[in-house]
Amino acid sequence: MEEKMKIKFLLNKKNIEVEVLPNRRLIDFLRDDLDLIGTKLGCGEGDCGACTVIINGKTANSCLVLAPQVDGKEVITIEGLGDYDKLDSLQQAFIDEGAVQCGFCTPGMLLSAKTLLDENPKPSREEIMRSMSGNLCRCTGYVKIANAIEKVANANN
Amino acid sequence: MEELSVVGKSVIRKDALDKVLGKTRYSADIKMPGMLYVKVLRSTVPHALVQKIDVTVAKALAGVAAVLTADDVPGLNGHGIIIKDEPVLVKDKIRKIGDPLAVVAAETEEIAIQALKHIVVELEELPAVFDAVEAMQDDSPKVHGKSNILAVRKIFKGEIDEAFAAADIVVENVYYTQMQEHSYIEPEAGIAYMDGNQVVIKASTQNTHFDCREVARNLGVPQSRIRMIQAPTGGGFGGKLDVSVQIYLALLAMKTRKPVRLVYSREESIIASTKRHPCRIRYRTAADKQGKLLAVDVEAIADTGAYASYGPAPVTRLAVHATGPYEVPNVRIYAYTVYTNNPTAGAMRGFGVPQAAFAYEQQMDMIAERVGISPLAVRMINSLKKGSKMATGQMIPSGPGISSTLLPAYDKAIQTKALAGYEPSVKKRGYGLGCMFFGVGNTGQPNPAGAFLDLLDDGSANLMVGAADIGQGSNTILAQIVAEELGMDFEDVQVTSADTGVTPDGGATSASRQTYISGNATLLAAKEVKQLLLAEAAALFGVAQDKIVLKNRQVMVVGQESKDGISIKQLITVCRSKGKMTLGHGWFNPSTTALDDETGQGEPYEAYSFGSQVVEVEVDTETGVVEVLNLYAAHDVGQAINPLHVQAQIEGGSIMGLGYGLYEDMKKVEGKIKTSSFATYLIPTSLDIPSIQAIIVEDKADTGPFGAKGLGETSLVPTAAAIANAVYDAVGIRIKSLPITPEKVLRALEETR
Repeated sequence: MEEKMKIKFLLNKKNIEVEVLPNRRLIDFLRDDLDLIGTKLGCGEGDCGACTVIINGKTANSCLVLAPQVDGKEVITIEGLGDYDKLDSLQQAFIDEGAVQCGFCTPGMLLSAKTLLDENPKPSREEIMRSMSGNLCRCTGYVKIANAIEKVANANN
Repeated sequence: MEELSVVGKSVIRKDALDKVLGKTRYSADIKMPGMLYVKVLRSTVPHALVQKIDVTVAKALAGVAAVLTADDVPGLNGHGIIIKDEPVLVKDKIRKIGDPLAVVAAETEEIAIQALKHIVVELEELPAVFDAVEAMQDDSPKVHGKSNILAVRKIFKGEIDEAFAAADIVVENVYYTQMQEHSYIEPEAGIAYMDGNQVVIKASTQNTHFDCREVARNLGVPQSRIRMIQAPTGGGFGGKLDVSVQIYLALLAMKTRKPVRLVYSREESIIASTKRHPCRIRYRTAADKQGKLLAVDVEAIADTGAYASYGPAPVTRLAVHATGPYEVPNVRIYAYTVYTNNPTAGAMRGFGVPQAAFAYEQQMDMIAERVGISPLAVRMINSLKKGSKMATGQMIPSGPGISSTLLPAYDKAIQTKALAGYEPSVKKRGYGLGCMFFGVGNTGQPNPAGAFLDLLDDGSANLMVGAADIGQGSNTILAQIVAEELGMDFEDVQVTSADTGVTPDGGATSASRQTYISGNATLLAAKEVKQLLLAEAAALFGVAQDKIVLKNRQVMVVGQESKDGISIKQLITVCRSKGKMTLGHGWFNPSTTALDDETGQGEPYEAYSFGSQVVEVEVDTETGVVEVLNLYAAHDVGQAINPLHVQAQIEGGSIMGLGYGLYEDMKKVEGKIKTSSFATYLIPTSLDIPSIQAIIVEDKADTGPFGAKGLGETSLVPTAAAIANAVYDAVGIRIKSLPITPEKVLRALEETR
């Protein structure tokens, strides 16, 4: 059996220090070891975006990332975006604009949207659409999701 | 009509908060101590006799808790929605790639996968059949029994041959539609464990009570020994109506007495689940000089794959809706459901009608062109409306038919067109119409749903319904209905759904039926509670019951609204002081009659939803690429219980229809799926969507809760057809097979040059 590797990284603003197998996928580490189940496994091949997390400010499919690759980096999952007592404005907008149906793509969508707005607080509708193109949604037709992101963008100064 | 307080308002969905926080636990997120991991061994050949399945080595592996084959199924080794023709685990005959041969439960997923590799299968391959038309021949290989024709739905009305002989115009074409995959983002998953002598299963599903009946039959135990609970479900669209993981889990939980979990990979989900029927539709239409329809003659052949699943039901629905939303005096329809060794086709959003619409809507445009009238005019003069007779002889119960949706969609399109500057180049633009109607609920079959309501001491309530909320929002809609009827706030109503240990049967979340049928059941349960309250209040105030109003959590006497009344909570306290409980129940079954086996005549549905879409496309004549620029979708929902989510259904459904029209094609070679990932099976992304205007139309159904009708499937139905018509308008080519790919467009353009 391969030897475990020691890794240190910042997860949702908390320091994590663990030993993991070198071939452990980040998604499995998050879901199975830490019970951060908001990161969803939809395809395991980087096609659907349900497992999107933010690594050093960029979105990544956590099914295509090995846990040791985040050593020394900052990772944000949906659990780090907001909580019951303090929703992120994007989360509030998704609720208010009817952007949630089955909800399985929702965490990944939110993290893609968060990354977009952090980089570009006033995106055009087209830029919003492009930013979502790695996240598949089968329920909404994307309209209400784009509306929600646009609403938050419009509130940005 | 009294003003509505909660119905008709876009209240916030009950499940939205947990979902945006990532806290919702779907099946694959549920963990239990000591849980075992399950894997399924599946056939890699499409048709074979099984001679031997040897699990000795697999069973002996360290960490393997159980390996089951057909011999370990204690009850009936068969399941299926219409007939039980699909084995839980194959005993003697494989009929498709993906057929389950054995299941393993092990301490880790890795061990379970290793164990599958140690199972030895000996088989004798058989000649197979992959084309439905070939499968209908006498000398074709047989999938089950002596004939591959599983069902024939016939509908006859009027004198078809005379009508064609007398017609001024006859249009005849053959249309082909492809296999479509539901592509819910959550793959099938579930967990099961023993609770005393009861097997508890939590899984991603659209119909818990059906699952419970299947599992009980396979295990050979009473249904009450199975508690089937729907876990939050990440989409279904018809693909989670058949059982997936449930039976395997129940067998293994019972065998090992430990919690067991099975999560499909995307590839396994695509290989094992049902699909939309691919169809060949030969369509002949007769009309007079004015464009009035005289007759249609349709032969549809649907490839249902290796097992029946829902098979004959969508094909029957295809037949019933084959005329489209038009009045046709003379009708002859034959619709065949045919077995092949392909992946199984079952239910998918639209349930046979999108295939029919692709044919009938192009026929309508061709008739208009021959007559020299507009596509709009040919539809308006032929529209079914209240009192006109559809193919099965049923009178349409209400409404003006398609006009209430077609005209607003068309007007919006015209307004936008007037504003748009457009210079034709190699890219050419065109408009297309697509209209539809859709019967709500199962076709001519009993399909009841029930509801229990418990009004609690403090004026809040628990609603228990069998209806599975798979993301469409039924829990929210049904709570709105209760709150409206009892004068409560929306937040006062908590909903428990789809749990056979707690809720009554709600039937399937399919057939666009839950708002209408579970909605009516819920309303009846609320009315029962209301009756108790009104009787008590009338006695208290010394007035007649019809003078009492429940609104804003208050009990008021009509004409004395300004006076201090009492709260509903206080009224409940009065009830309790007399030992009276405030419980209600309701069940509702739409009034229908079965279709006659020989003539197809009958009254298959109680209510009908209508809809119309107008699309604007741009066709690149150099690349063949079709882009939809604008989509105007107007849908009659009777009463929008929650307008924001009605819009969301219209948007999501029409984009699924756009995928059906332009991209999606489950490709297979000799029964083997070649597009088993989202990299090869393309569904629309955010870059593929046009500007969409969802238009809500409300022609109330007298029989629906607050006038509501079904909506779930309707918006998918006409989109592909409208796109095909728009392509013709843009560049003058008729694409008669789906999807409308650049290759097909270029080839057709080449042929016209």
